[in-house]
Amino acid sequence: MATVSSGPAPGMHQIDLSKLNIHQLAKLKQQLDQELNVFQDSLQTLKMAQGKFVESGESVEKITPATKGKTVLVPLTGSMYVPGTIADTDNVIIDIGTGYYAQKDIEGAKDYFKRKVDFVTEQMEKIQVLGIEKSKVREAICMMMDMKVQAQAQAQKASTS
Amino acid sequence: MAEEFQKKWQKEFEIFNNLKKEYHKAVAQKQQLDSQLNENKAVKEELSLLKKDAEVYKLIGPVLVKQDLEEAKQNVAKRLEYISKEIKRTDGNISALENKQEAVTENLNKLKSNLDSLKIAG
Repeated sequence: MATVSSGPAPGMHQIDLSKLNIHQLAKLKQQLDQELNVFQDSLQTLKMAQGKFVESGESVEKITPATKGKTVLVPLTGSMYVPGTIADTDNVIIDIGTGYYAQKDIEGAKDYFKRKVDFVTEQMEKIQVLGIEKSKVREAICMMMDMKVQAQAQAQKASTS
Repeated sequence: MAEEFQKKWQKEFEIFNNLKKEYHKAVAQKQQLDSQLNENKAVKEELSLLKKDAEVYKLIGPVLVKQDLEEAKQNVAKRLEYISKEIKRTDGNISALENKQEAVTENLNKLKSNLDSLKIAG
């Protein structure tokens, strides 16, 4: 029969690990593994987002008043380009999310990407801190499991001899 | 007698599974709403940082259509309101499903113990 556990509360560090049996510990460990995986995935996604913002920021740096009137190749599709000239080197249009685009001057755009990179970096740091905490709990659970297994083996030995 | 309980148990178990599915769906929905809320919040902040005469465009299909900044702000505010409401609704839905699940689990356990005792008696 499947045991239905209510799942450890978010404040799981308040649970006394030594009071859980091996089965419960294993379940907890599994749960933590899952959570750590989610963290790992989130970090990866954030890293990708961060990379995109950094790249966009660098692209903006390349637009200076000196680039005005220069020809560029504009990609119409992934494999087809048409020539064009840069008419406006003062403003760029930025995707700010949910389908909205805003026109900003170069300084504003630089500031925007810098802010975004900072924001993403901050989120990554938060997740890293959480991840380290969870890893510690996981380690403690592993140790407790080892201890329980050993204690059980010893008890068995004692009863058979 | 045992068969009857078995049937009852199976029926109850089916209900339980359905509840579980519904619950997962609700949680996924909540997560999606949460991310939409965050994105809209970011857009709202960005719009509020813009100068009054800044040009704002909205992506409609493949074209960018120029929009009034005030209008865009109102639009995002409205969306935020709607999403917040939806989140509240899903939260209610989730807790209702949790309660239902608990009740059904209890029922299942009861039926199971009934079955077990019948088996022992038989």
